[in-house]
Amino acid sequence: MATNPMHQFEVYRIGPEIKLGAIDISFTNASLFMVISSFAILLVFNLGSKKNSVIPNKMQLLAELSYTFVSKMISDTAGSKAKPYFSFIFSIFMFVLFCNMFGMIPYTFTVTSHIIVTFMLAAFIFIGVTIIGFIKHGLGYLKLFVPSGVPVVLLPLIVVIEIISYLSRPISLSVRLFANMMAGHTMMKVFGGFVISLGIIGGWLPLSFSVALTGLEILVAFLQAYVFAILTCIYLNDALNLHH
Amino acid sequence: MPKQTFKTRLEIAKNKISKKNLYNNKKPSSSIGTAFKMSTELVSAVAVGTIIGFILDKTFGTKPWLILIFFFVGVVAGIMNVIKSAKNMQK
Repeated sequence: MATNPMHQFEVYRIGPEIKLGAIDISFTNASLFMVISSFAILLVFNLGSKKNSVIPNKMQLLAELSYTFVSKMISDTAGSKAKPYFSFIFSIFMFVLFCNMFGMIPYTFTVTSHIIVTFMLAAFIFIGVTIIGFIKHGLGYLKLFVPSGVPVVLLPLIVVIEIISYLSRPISLSVRLFANMMAGHTMMKVFGGFVISLGIIGGWLPLSFSVALTGLEILVAFLQAYVFAILTCIYLNDALNLHH
Repeated sequence: MPKQTFKTRLEIAKNKISKKNLYNNKKPSSSIGTAFKMSTELVSAVAVGTIIGFILDKTFGTKPWLILIFFFVGVVAGIMNVIKSAKNMQK
C-alpha cells in the first residue's frame, strides 16, 4: 500500500460525517490543506505588512515582491483596465501557489492534483469573466464569436468553432494544472519506490533522479500557478478589450 | 564617497535592472510550460466538441451523426486554439 504511487491522492474524512441532504460535505484532508494554505497566505501577508519599514525584512520583502510580481503581470497582459480585478487575480495566484508548494512537503496532500478542485477554480474564473464581459459590452460581447472579415457562407461554421474554443477554456485551464501536479507527484513516488526496491547497491541512480525531480517539481509548482494566473489575465483582457 | 560617483553608480544599477526586465519580458515562461499549454488547448477543444455532440445526440435522438460532426468541429477548434496562442506568443 505504501508503495502504491496513487495512494497519496486518496481523500479521506477527518472527523464526523456531515451530510447536507444527499451531498456529503464532511471535512476531508483536502479541505484541511486548503484551510492550511489559506491561513499560511494570511499569516505571510499579515507579518509582511505589519511593520512598513524602508529597509524590508524577509517577510515584508516576500509580500512586496509577490505584490509587484502580480501587479506587473496584470499590467503587462491585461492593461490598466484590469487594475480593479487585481485582488481577485492575486488571491487566485497565491492560493494555487501555496497549495502547490504545500504539496511539495513530504506526507502532505496536494489539493491541486484533484481535477474537481482545479475545475471549480477554472469554472469560477470562466463564469466571472463571461459576466464581466456582458456587463462591460452588453450583447456586443457576442461579437467575440464572430471574427471580422469572414465570408457569410462560412459564418455558421466559424461561430460554432469559436463557441467550442471559448467553452474549452475552463477545461484546458483546469486540466493543465491538475495533470502537471498529478503527473509530477506520481513520478516522484514511482522513483522513490525504485530506490527501495533496488536496495543499497542499485538505488543510487533513482535516488539522484528523485532529487532532480524534486527541483523540477518545485519549478513546475511555481510555473503552473503563474500560468494559471496569466491565463486568467488573458481571458480578462479578452472580456475587457474586445478586439475582434 | 563623492556624490557624482554615487549617481553614476545608481544609473548603472538602474540600467542593469531595466535590461534584466527586458530579458524577462521576452521569456515569461519556460518551454515546458508552453508545450503543455499547447497540448491541453488542442485536447480540451476536442473534448468539449465531443461532449456537445453527445448531449445533442441524446436530445435529438440522432445517435451517431452529431457526435461525429462535432468531434471534427472540435478538432478544428483545437487547431485554431493552438494557432491563436502561437500567434500570441510571437507578439
